Amino acid sequence: MKLTAPQRIGLAIGWLLLLGLLTAWISSRMQVSGDLRKFMPDARTPAQKLLLDELGEGPGARLLLVALSGASPAQLAAQSRELRATLAADTQFELVANGEQAGLEAFPEHLLPYRYLIHALPADAFSRATLGDELQARLQDLGSPAGGLIEPLLPSDPTLQLLRVAEALQPATAPQRIDEVWFDHTGTQALLLVQTRAAGFDPGAQQAAVDAIQAAFTHAAGNSGSRIELSGPGAFSVKIGNRTAREASTIGTLDTIGMVLLLWLAYRSWKMPILGFLPLASAGLAGLAAVALGFDGVHGITIAFGFTLIGVVQDYPIHFFSHERPGRSSWDNVRALWPTLGTGVIATCIAYLTFLFSGVEGLKQLSVFTITALATAALATRFVLPALVDPATRDFADSRPLARVWAYTRHLPQPRWSLLALALLAGAVVSWAPGPFWQNDLGRLTPVDPQDLQRDAQLRSELGAPDVRYVIALRGNDVQAALEASERLRPALDALVDRGALESYDMAARYLPSAATQQQRQRQLPDAATLRTALAEAVADTPFRSDAFAPFLADVARARAAPALQPQDLQGTPLATAVGGLLVQGQQHSTALVSLSGLHDIAALAAAARAQGGELLDLKNASESLVADYRGRVLAALAVAVLLLSATVWAALRTPRRVVRVLLPMALSTLLVLAVLRGLGVELNLFHLIGLILAAGLGLDYGLFFEHAGDSHADQLRTLHGLLVCSVMTLLVFSLLGLSSIPVLRAIGSTVALGVVCNFVLALLVSRHPLQEQADDRA
Amino acid sequence: MISGKPKLRPRLLGLLLASLATPALASGVDAGWILRQLAQPAPSQTGFVELRGSALLKEPLRVEGQYRRPDAATLVRQVRVPYAETTTIANGQVSIDRSGKPPRVFSLQRVPELADLQASFGALLSGDLARLEQAYRLQASGSAQQWQLVLTPRAEALARRVRAVTLHGQGKELRCIETQPARGDLQRTLLGSAAAAAANLRQADALAALCQAGGAR
Repeated sequence: MKLTAPQRIGLAIGWLLLLGLLTAWISSRMQVSGDLRKFMPDARTPAQKLLLDELGEGPGARLLLVALSGASPAQLAAQSRELRATLAADTQFELVANGEQAGLEAFPEHLLPYRYLIHALPADAFSRATLGDELQARLQDLGSPAGGLIEPLLPSDPTLQLLRVAEALQPATAPQRIDEVWFDHTGTQALLLVQTRAAGFDPGAQQAAVDAIQAAFTHAAGNSGSRIELSGPGAFSVKIGNRTAREASTIGTLDTIGMVLLLWLAYRSWKMPILGFLPLASAGLAGLAAVALGFDGVHGITIAFGFTLIGVVQDYPIHFFSHERPGRSSWDNVRALWPTLGTGVIATCIAYLTFLFSGVEGLKQLSVFTITALATAALATRFVLPALVDPATRDFADSRPLARVWAYTRHLPQPRWSLLALALLAGAVVSWAPGPFWQNDLGRLTPVDPQDLQRDAQLRSELGAPDVRYVIALRGNDVQAALEASERLRPALDALVDRGALESYDMAARYLPSAATQQQRQRQLPDAATLRTALAEAVADTPFRSDAFAPFLADVARARAAPALQPQDLQGTPLATAVGGLLVQGQQHSTALVSLSGLHDIAALAAAARAQGGELLDLKNASESLVADYRGRVLAALAVAVLLLSATVWAALRTPRRVVRVLLPMALSTLLVLAVLRGLGVELNLFHLIGLILAAGLGLDYGLFFEHAGDSHADQLRTLHGLLVCSVMTLLVFSLLGLSSIPVLRAIGSTVALGVVCNFVLALLVSRHPLQEQADDRA
Repeated sequence: MISGKPKLRPRLLGLLLASLATPALASGVDAGWILRQLAQPAPSQTGFVELRGSALLKEPLRVEGQYRRPDAATLVRQVRVPYAETTTIANGQVSIDRSGKPPRVFSLQRVPELADLQASFGALLSGDLARLEQAYRLQASGSAQQWQLVLTPRAEALARRVRAVTLHGQGKELRCIETQPARGDLQRTLLGSAAAAAANLRQADALAALCQAGGAR
């Protein structure tokens, strides 16, 4: 098959169009999810379970703290009210609080009688004497300047039980109010609390939430000159995500320019950068398409890890280009390269297959993505690219500098025992370097500015917002059992608050007592006749009309006969959010959560929780142990992958000596990179691991090509050219990444860059074919 | 109620009885002039009478007592009849002292009605026109012998509680405050000589007439 120049251009354009169509299809179909749960292994401990199944969207992690400043308090208060009104109408927010709802509105009309069941009543609450005292107090309330406020409440609630309940439902450490909305203690910042529906670690949803808040604020602020500040886990993840994206895109642009220049320099043709890019682009798109077809949604991490791992396919077209020479058909050329290239691709694909059996959704996706991508790139290089390249005008075997380099390398000694010494030394460093081997704190990978953290702590304490890390969980067979368990914990918690071990706590039972507690309170309510008599006697001594409090009698009677209030009765009321966030109802069991603010004595809290059959959960710990579990799966899969990969190489090369020559540089490089990282005090994380896997994949190809360099001196020079271009390009791309200020990018970049250097040098020293060279020398 | 001692003439809000000597303005009055008349240094005090109507009551509740300003920053509302109650507003806090009960102290923010009272009274008493104008639009009418000053809230938060406050006075004396809440009935506070004149009145109509017409009759 030989195409004319216009046909080649047409084919290339057709390919590009196809890729464009594929892009459009994928972006219309694929849903990128940031839900970390998909990327994590199954939970084992209760804390992990809570983190993943139930608390994955924990109330603390979904809170955004908002501060408005930079205008007069009256302006800020007005903006706070407008912001609340706008956001409360937005379905992506579950709760928007700025102090405006003082609790009375939180109580829907039909639930009003339950005020006698939600809050504890003294034993003599309805005696003639107590009622008489209350009525006298109400008369004075009515005669006070605030009389207008009280009057509408009195007919049904002469003891102001509703105010007592509302007061009890207020956060213990509510911020001060100016113009009826929350302000910090200096009175210069209006404060709001916003709870998103989406999980805190879902970057897409958090970005949408942050954007909505910003837009609402811009509208509310007008040109008052006020500023908005957002804090909380979601706001941080958005901020860091954007910073990472910005930096990655800057580095990506530099990388692209560098790659284009390098390819142009290496091949002196403007077409090569474009043609060289086609297999990689096809690989990425095919990988995404396969994941989109096979899974519900693609995880963001799959894409990030996946695109890192398929960096190896950029080498495929380069090997092909470097072997092009005048007078030889591109098809013959690629056919000659195929055994070497194919061995590498097949071995790598088989290795990645192990991820498919890891039992973790995210790793399965990664497996499907990389295997599809590698196969696509290899097939594109083998079956499409030869049709597209222009006939070669030069042979890299004619390059004098290249010949000199190759001649020089041939005089290098082939190391044997020195490698063993190096391996032992590296092994020693890896084993005995001080400091922890693995870093499990995912938070350290995406560090929040200390300044932001300090600000967050400040806002959190002003708002009395709950701690993100610690929460008490009490499990029960059903909702009522969980509520009862948390009620039993209250005396101990109150004691801890008195002692200063804890500033405040919140639990569902505060808003919704257990049915047992409600029934007990019902039994304390007087019957209609008793209450009517007591009230009539009390009213007789006052200027109130005798029939003024008929609604009160009716409400108490209703409270006495009503079925106990259940969580589902609260649906649609502001109380539902408060209860819903703290009471998790599962199929088999329910969990009551106690959120904690201002923890000072963690041990005492843990002991108090244990005493009532609960547990103080450390969510940070839980997420770290999940990361460790995840890494364990990756490592186990990798161990199997190494065996499969070795077996594949063995099957292809057949002689032990050749197998060792190909695999030794790769294995040794991995050890060396580990030793350098450990020696520098770097704690390894998943991103280093992914970098090491990519480096090993590159090393396998380097080994195979050096080992298989070709039968003639000219072929060896062409191989050397290809490998030099490959490694310099990979080094360039990943060195730039290694210079990034973002730890995630730096981890991947530095690991791969180091790996490329080690692999190239070792493959050159170990894998090249000495016997063949000697034959050449004799020739 | 008015202090019996000649030296301690009632001074709150410039509620002086000896107002006949005030030079009458030839034409109308303005807010600035009224405030200058009312401004009085602390300490000062004046009696008040309020009549509070409610559907819950057999007849309107008549409350008698005294407003006092022991110092420039403190406002005391002391009820004497029909019950004893002292409300002290100072330093952003409210203390309510009812006979036979421990005093209740809470932040002024929690009862915006009391905060409004202090904000408008405070400004009136110190003759601070600028501060009063920050919170209210002022509209004066009448003559020096018989003036009215209508305060309409500027801020939305305040407007949601109070529609308007109308002050009625004669010369240097503030005689009556009519507060029209956003919801509910008009409430009247008679002060100084008007309170004294209302000593035996229990009819709402008569009180209203006393408030608006002053002692002119």
